[in-house]
Amino acid sequence: MENTVIDAHNISKTYDPTGIPVPAIRNVHLHIAKGEFVALVGPSGSGKTTLLNMIGGLDHPDSGNIIVNGTDITALRSADLVKFRLHNIGFVFQAFNLIPVLTASENAEFIMLLQKEKKAKRAERINGLFKQVGLLDKKNTRPAQLSGGQQQRVAVVRALASKPQFVLADEPTANLDSAAAFNLLDIMAALNREENMTFIFSTHDQRVIERAKRVITLVDGQIVSDSTKLPL
Amino acid sequence: MIIRLAWRNIWRNKMRSMVIIASVTAGLFAGMSIMSLYKGMMKSRIRTVIDTETGHIQLHAKGFMGDQDPKRYVQEDGNKIIKLLKDKSIRAIAQRTITAGMVSTPNGSSGVSIIGISPEEEMRVSGLGKKMRQGKMTWPSTTRGMLMGKKLAKKLKLTVGEKVVITMTDTADNLISAAFRIQGIYQSANAPLDEVNVYVSRKELQEMLGLENQVHEIAIVLHDDRLLDSTTQWLAMEFPTLAVEPWKALSPETSLMAETVDTLSYIILVIILVALSFGIMNTMMMSILERRHEIGMMMALGMGRLPLLVLIMTETFFLTIAGIPIALVTGRTAIQYYAKKGMDLSGMGREMMESFGFETMIYPDFPSDKIAFIIALVFATALVSSVVPILKSLSMNPVSALQK
Ligand SMILES: Nc1ncnc2c1ncn2[C@@H]1O[C@H](COP(=O)(O)OP(=O)(O)O)[C@@H](O)[C@H]1O
Ligand SMILES: [Mg+2]
Repeated sequence: MENTVIDAHNISKTYDPTGIPVPAIRNVHLHIAKGEFVALVGPSGSGKTTLLNMIGGLDHPDSGNIIVNGTDITALRSADLVKFRLHNIGFVFQAFNLIPVLTASENAEFIMLLQKEKKAKRAERINGLFKQVGLLDKKNTRPAQLSGGQQQRVAVVRALASKPQFVLADEPTANLDSAAAFNLLDIMAALNREENMTFIFSTHDQRVIERAKRVITLVDGQIVSDSTKLPL
Repeated sequence: MIIRLAWRNIWRNKMRSMVIIASVTAGLFAGMSIMSLYKGMMKSRIRTVIDTETGHIQLHAKGFMGDQDPKRYVQEDGNKIIKLLKDKSIRAIAQRTITAGMVSTPNGSSGVSIIGISPEEEMRVSGLGKKMRQGKMTWPSTTRGMLMGKKLAKKLKLTVGEKVVITMTDTADNLISAAFRIQGIYQSANAPLDEVNVYVSRKELQEMLGLENQVHEIAIVLHDDRLLDSTTQWLAMEFPTLAVEPWKALSPETSLMAETVDTLSYIILVIILVALSFGIMNTMMMSILERRHEIGMMMALGMGRLPLLVLIMTETFFLTIAGIPIALVTGRTAIQYYAKKGMDLSGMGREMMESFGFETMIYPDFPSDKIAFIIALVFATALVSSVVPILKSLSMNPVSALQK
């Protein structure tokens, strides 16, 4: 399929920190196409973070393959994996997203800087995105002076700035109040529409789930349902 | 960008960084002070050696220095030596007749070097006049006078006016002895020499040894220390039959000491820097552990090992080298102040300092020649201190660092 971004085939992961094996992901198959807006839901401990980390090349499955845009990332060496993440995957984390000593725009351009993009190109892209997320006046503000929602918006801008294959967001709204959570989801949805950016985010917030076009439910490391809403 | 990030990271914990920067500054300041003190001490020691002990260069008959046999006198015609005095690089010369002998008194006896001098020449070459503590440097030719070092006088319980008997061998191998009256007591900065050198009239000693006007030693003082090597070479060519030796060869212990002290001052600096490097390393480790979520996040985003290494190394360098300019400026100022005023170290024990031939007033000298090396050492310290923090940060795992 030409517009496939992620193709996870029969992946499993078991943690064994204390000698008692804990299966976190069991025989998961996952297929995500370009431009999808996917919510990964499930109770705490169901394996959402583990799955996202493996799709994002942060963690290795014990078995199975993950193909991202034609590359089998489970076969990459760790140094190549770092490069692959830098050029292909955008991340928004639940917390610790921003570097406190850098301003909002310096944080936002961090990935483009690591990619060695030219200054003019960085500025243009960051300014455009800051305008879209309504943060143009906070460009030179340090994270500590921003609200939680504003910080997450900066993280979303950073993830999108380098135009990755897809953006992974692990519980991006978990630390936000509902107004800020909806606002962030609206912004992500808008960017999904306008830039045709693929988003996969995990959440256990029912109201946030309603915004998703496709909802994948995990229980005990297995996909128990995968439903796509038909456009109204 | 990494530079900017590193610089800002340093100031995240101002207090902690200031403590490190202040300790590097203090350590460098202390290291430079010690180096300056050593350098000042050595410079003054060398000055003392040249101005009061050896002069710049000495000429002897070959072999004389080994056995002090009075038959080995300088066999050069007087005109050539007078010509020496006229050379523009030479300020003064002193000709000495020397032999080994024994001083005896009812209280005991002691082996000595008997040195026949001309007081006027010594005034200019070895500053003997300034070393006089009791009595006079000159005496009527009717009395056989002698100048004795304070240390020997004390050992033999002698004072000015008392008589001693000197026994020696003349040039015809006869054992001769003669009575001398102590006319003056001198004290130099080099106590061991004061115990062996006694001075008599050159003319009288020549007569007793059966010499006419031959001498065993010609000490030469130059107008400038920098003329030493060229003049030594020139004299060696001019007087191929003589041993032409610069002060470094005449007082090997002094040049050896200068080298040792040099090495020692480097070792002290290295010890200070090693101690500091533990503090720097510890601070960097704390800083990295505090930021482990952030470092994990940057790694997750795709920051490679190299940029991370550069970041941590730059932070360590900033922390380490920030103290250099402050230390250099304050160190230089303080040292220059004491270089003018002098530093009285007699509290450390005048006796001890003198027995090693040191003046008790030290004029520290800023080690400008070693600045490049000091800075290089500080950079090396930064490099060494950054190794463990770099390894620690590279070993971090983004997945676990991102967990709460
Ligand atoms: N680093 C780890 N070490 C051991 N067990 C882990 C680790 N990470 C996750 N787990 C376990 O794997 C399971 C799935 O965890 P996780 O993926 O974090 O779930 P979720 O994100 O849905 O809450 C849980 O049982 C959890 O305890
Ligand atoms: Mg989770």
